[in-house]
Amino acid sequence: MSPVADNGKYALRLRGLVKRFGGVEALSGATLEVERGTVHGLIGQNGAGKSTLIKILAGLYQPDEGSIEINDISHRRLSAHEVEKLGIHFIHQDRLLVPSFTVGESLFLGREPRLAGLPFLDRRTIRKRAEEILDKYFKLKLPANVLISELTAAQKQIVQITRALLDKPSILVFDEPTAALVRREADILFDLIRRLRADGITIIYISHYLNEIEALCDRATILRNGKDVATIDPRATPASKIASLMVARDIEEMFPKISVTIGEPVLTAKALSKAGKFQNVSLDIRQGEIVGLTGLLGSGAKDLVRVLFGLEAADTGEITIEGEKGRPRSPVAAVAKRLALVPEDRRGDGVALGLSVAENITLASLKRFTGFGFLKRDEEHTEVDRLIEQLAIKTNGRFAPARTLSGGNQQKVALAKWLSRKSTLYILDEPTVGVDIGSKVEIYNLIGKLAERGAGILILSSDLPELIGITDRILVLYRGAVVREFQSSEATPDEVLAEATGALIQHYGEQRHVS
Amino acid sequence: MSVFANPDRRLFTPQFIGQVLLRYAVIAALAGVFAFFSFATTTFLTSANLTSILVNNFTLLAIVAVAMTFAVSAGGIDLSVGTSVDFASFAFVSLVLAGYPVGLAILAALVSGALVGLFNALLISGVGITPFLATLGTLFIGRSSQQLLTNGGNPVYLPQTGISPLFLFIGHGHILGIPVPLIIVGLLIVITSIVLLRTRFGRAILAIGVQQSVARYSGLRVPGHIGLVYVISGFIAAIAGIILTSTVSVYIPNSGGAFMLNAIGATFIGTTLSREGRPNIPGTMLGVLLLSIVANGLLLTGLSFYWQQVGTGLLIFIVLAASFLNRRGRGD
Repeated sequence: MSPVADNGKYALRLRGLVKRFGGVEALSGATLEVERGTVHGLIGQNGAGKSTLIKILAGLYQPDEGSIEINDISHRRLSAHEVEKLGIHFIHQDRLLVPSFTVGESLFLGREPRLAGLPFLDRRTIRKRAEEILDKYFKLKLPANVLISELTAAQKQIVQITRALLDKPSILVFDEPTAALVRREADILFDLIRRLRADGITIIYISHYLNEIEALCDRATILRNGKDVATIDPRATPASKIASLMVARDIEEMFPKISVTIGEPVLTAKALSKAGKFQNVSLDIRQGEIVGLTGLLGSGAKDLVRVLFGLEAADTGEITIEGEKGRPRSPVAAVAKRLALVPEDRRGDGVALGLSVAENITLASLKRFTGFGFLKRDEEHTEVDRLIEQLAIKTNGRFAPARTLSGGNQQKVALAKWLSRKSTLYILDEPTVGVDIGSKVEIYNLIGKLAERGAGILILSSDLPELIGITDRILVLYRGAVVREFQSSEATPDEVLAEATGALIQHYGEQRHVS
Repeated sequence: MSVFANPDRRLFTPQFIGQVLLRYAVIAALAGVFAFFSFATTTFLTSANLTSILVNNFTLLAIVAVAMTFAVSAGGIDLSVGTSVDFASFAFVSLVLAGYPVGLAILAALVSGALVGLFNALLISGVGITPFLATLGTLFIGRSSQQLLTNGGNPVYLPQTGISPLFLFIGHGHILGIPVPLIIVGLLIVITSIVLLRTRFGRAILAIGVQQSVARYSGLRVPGHIGLVYVISGFIAAIAGIILTSTVSVYIPNSGGAFMLNAIGATFIGTTLSREGRPNIPGTMLGVLLLSIVANGLLLTGLSFYWQQVGTGLLIFIVLAASFLNRRGRGD
């Protein structure tokens, strides 16, 4: 069905792409060559450069260096409009669809074929074509007047794919398409992708899940640190080999491990479940213990953290904090139980950029500095100055706005806020993302010191060498269940990644734990 | 170029003066309009007129603007401050007319204003409607219900005689030669400044207003604090209603609405005085003073009343533009 002449071998060649953002190189010479009519996988860890590469292909970013060749025609630069005209379409779970539109309106938005010679929409033809496609690929009648917001994630995806197919695409890009799908829906999607390939459409498939790559892809390119490190045949390459290609090796020894005696449990969670997010998760964190938690997008790790801190409610299960039963119903309750959360979105949730360093640091512990409702500013400032010194926060004084600090120092402020609260359990969500290497080491040291003083610490991180380096043990979540617990001293990044990506699950669907 | 690269570091370079003017645009504008009206009219710079500015133009707007400053500090806005003024006025007049003691009538007036705020609080913190829409709804409901209560908007007059002297004292009395309304405003300014700057409640309000999500993640009771802010706003606006009623001895339906836009203007003019652009009571008061002087001065020049709004609008533009230029100059 593709109108493109099948002359060249490659549908797409991106070569030597370089893309810089300020001083940071997101891509440093990445190459992606996709043969016509194949399913080509693109894999890499967070920050490997996948999304930058795809945004260049979508015409959203312009590369600083490198060449783009689509169907043997090279392009200096691409705009989003040209990309669509070239027949390249993107299927992404959160993009493109307006919730208040009907299925019919969504399918025809922006294409709107006319009746010959008239300014009227040829609705009948379009509907007929849409129904043909829906029937042919999905064996499905999707009523055209249902609202997008009423559809399930899988149905929305079907609408997106159908919309793309109406345009007779030559290349379809699937960006993490299964993140929001349940297993049965994912199976239908895989089946569909194979049939699209049989019809001559070239497919680029981006996923964290190694087993999906193995099941679907003819070839796969692995990105690491902005470069393609290998292009392989996933069926002939063992998962452990792929995982080790994905993980960077050049991390120096920077995790100072202090040996700490493990004490009483600070937090115990039993059989926590939240529908559609995670099921039957149990964990305990003891005094002086640093526990790691990792999982891919959609694994439920983030949701678990939100439940522990009272930001969301679990459906069932039990949480005991310092011997006291009861799930925190709000962050107010969590903070009262001396829980601390350093959230991933530092500038959104962790630090108020418009407040001063001092105001940020004491925000969670104002009670300490209050007498009869009035702030005791001398005591507040003494404590702030002490923490600024202890954490070596580089700031132009305690009254400097937090926005004037570097990312690493902002993160230290986010931590200092909980030190001032004298928290006993610290939940750190991606604590070192966007933090310079110097501050990183300082933050690792601080985490170690907190444990030494008897605090319990839960770290969520997708930086596996970091996680293994600083934690005592690691829980791996995969599609809402704890699939494995590692002793950090015995874990390797490859193994952890393999568990997190589901590569060790023999067949897709045979999970070893109840889901 | 660094400052230190300049060997000739005189303090009053044109650039420096320009920066100061931008930084303190409110004060510059205040001095400017003051000087202008002093020369443009013969009657402006007289002690009688200056007192009149404070008592007639400044007082009521100042109180309502303090109420507004609370709402804006918490990251919201209160479009129904006028409704609180009116409801307080209505309650006050009704109870005095019915022969209740003035003290009780004052209490009832304050409670009425606070109830308007409580209604906003329930809509905003309970239902989750944005402050703008919630208080807009209250504004509409308040307007209609006053017309329903007064047969389509008839004023409720108090008789000329037989009214408790305490009633008239609030609007017309003096203590040690100072008009009572000014004393009330003075006390209010001091108390609210302390509450916003020196109490835990004030700090929480500030954090919620600057970045609500961070406040929530820090374990502050965000909805509770926001709700309380609107109750306080209604309560403070009710004080204006009491003074207004005592001054004119009449309740005129929907007369409080006139304060709302000026209070918003004054509050945002006031934010330019703060380095971080925060709403603050002293800044708001300078904003109110500026608007009061313009209103009074334009009246004295004999210009049409309708030009007042133009003057007010231009001033708000100028001050906010200066503040914007100042921020951009600092690279924020």
